Amino acid sequence: MDSFIDSIRRLSQTCGIVAALLIAAAVVVVCEMVVIRYFLRASTVWQTEFVTYSLIGATFIGSPYVALIRGHVNVELLPVYLGGRARLALGLFCAAAAFGLSVVLAWTGFGLLAEAWVGGWRTDTIWALPLWIPYLALPVGMALMALQYAAEILCLATGRSQPFGLSEDRD
Amino acid sequence: MSALAIGGIVGIVTLALLATGIPVAFGLALVSIGFLLYFEGTSSLSILAETFFGSLNDFTLVSIPMFILMGAAVASSPAGKDLYAALDRWLHRVPGGLIISNLGACAVFAALSGSSPATCAAIGKMGIPEMRQRGYPAGLATGAIAAGGTLGILIPPSITMIVYGVATETSIGRLFIAGLVPGLMLTALFMAWSLYIAWRKGYSLLDRATTYTLRDRLVILPKVLPFLAIIAGILYVLYGGLATPSEAAGVGALFCILLVAVIYRIRDLHTISQILRDSMRESVMILMIIGASALFSYMLSSLFVTQSVAGWIAGLDVNRWVVMAMINVFLLVAGFFLPPVAVILMTAPILLPIVEQAGFDPYWFAVVFTINMEIGLITPPVGLNLYVINGISPDVSLPTILKGALPFMLCMVLGIVLLCLIPGIATWLPTLLMGPAL
Repeated sequence: MDSFIDSIRRLSQTCGIVAALLIAAAVVVVCEMVVIRYFLRASTVWQTEFVTYSLIGATFIGSPYVALIRGHVNVELLPVYLGGRARLALGLFCAAAAFGLSVVLAWTGFGLLAEAWVGGWRTDTIWALPLWIPYLALPVGMALMALQYAAEILCLATGRSQPFGLSEDRD
Repeated sequence: MSALAIGGIVGIVTLALLATGIPVAFGLALVSIGFLLYFEGTSSLSILAETFFGSLNDFTLVSIPMFILMGAAVASSPAGKDLYAALDRWLHRVPGGLIISNLGACAVFAALSGSSPATCAAIGKMGIPEMRQRGYPAGLATGAIAAGGTLGILIPPSITMIVYGVATETSIGRLFIAGLVPGLMLTALFMAWSLYIAWRKGYSLLDRATTYTLRDRLVILPKVLPFLAIIAGILYVLYGGLATPSEAAGVGALFCILLVAVIYRIRDLHTISQILRDSMRESVMILMIIGASALFSYMLSSLFVTQSVAGWIAGLDVNRWVVMAMINVFLLVAGFFLPPVAVILMTAPILLPIVEQAGFDPYWFAVVFTINMEIGLITPPVGLNLYVINGISPDVSLPTILKGALPFMLCMVLGIVLLCLIPGIATWLPTLLMGPAL
């Protein structure tokens, strides 16, 4: 089981790197766009869409990594107040709910992807990017997030990690 | 069941679910999906992916990761320390110069970083020990920095304001300009209170022990002025309508990274990847909440909750200031428990029609909204800034910090009252620079 959990963790970390690179690419392209538009007085074709889709990609692909490092902001009042088994139960509930949501979003995202692929949808700009490319990020990111939460449930159930990442001494 | 009753149940279920400690984004999405499934059946699931994706498919949102990156780059450098040192060297002859330097540095750093906790950490690390060393009580020193840090979400450029702009479809450039004067007003109120306390309790307002030569004062300027130029540049570009917020933010981020690399020689791959990773984490967290809250507001409006709440409030036939007072109390309580971004995204689409119907300016309301959120940052149980300050000065207890922050909280309430009495504090500058709001 350790090797399963470990490989999921590596997968999520890889997601984090991909998302960070997408954001870096977005910064570079925004600046290039500013130079073209305001200094060379030319019009831009693909930059606006590229930047927007990079960030959507970063959001969905980065989400499993942010889940891994518990970066999705939450209200920890009750978990901190409750200790022991109640906290564990809450932790399991939250991980299971997040898992369920990820599955639903991955599934509906896959439906959207399939529609765009079959219908040959493209963006309505001169660039005419095939829409399945940006849509791909949603099912992939959410499926990986489902895996991350599956690993989290396993870790909680076997005592490998503490619910909400809270150490016992904060009780 | 009436739409109003459904609205009440949605509210209770949402709060109960968020209380379990589930990430805010997922809680909102789950509530939305649950209610849509219950009232509209499985066919409603088909719009999920498109709504989620569509809500993020907006070039304006690009400004969020860009401003976060700008702040992360500045926060990774000792710029906060230098900012404080520069103000201290220039102002230490002024009575109470130390307090003015600290709060002033908070205001400027807040503008640069757009983040409250980052401001507290950057200025507090240096400022709190310095103030205590000169005899100021721990409560005043820590409270002032905790409050000064909250300015980050009001003084432009502010992520919170961008999120408000996205949620309410208002002009981000105008929101930024609207936050400027109230931000300076709050800074001045914080300073006035600190100086009053220091004077009344007889703490020495003048530091005669240290002297700085003109050379000392000049030598630090090249480190600080470029950052100030970036803020000024961004505001100039935005209010002049020369570029979109996303473009201004992208160029600002690149400049800040370059400045940090040139001035502070932060060039190693490890630090740069750290900056990128931190910005990615913060952006993903916010953008996921934005996506989920799009589902949430879609659910609310397709179940007619949004419309009936607005209709109900309009039908109450009470004075508009009573409505505003109720909204303020509601926001204040919400801010005690939830992060500002979540409160704005969840409530702004419902509140804005009510506020506009009552004849209030949406940009003025953005400022009042944000100050309410600032109060939440220094009040328990979630008050993020209190914990950051506790982290950097572990020998000061949380209750002491809280007691120190309390008067500043009242300053913010006073700020809201002043804004209600003189709405021009928020609306004058945007009207002067950009013409009347449409």
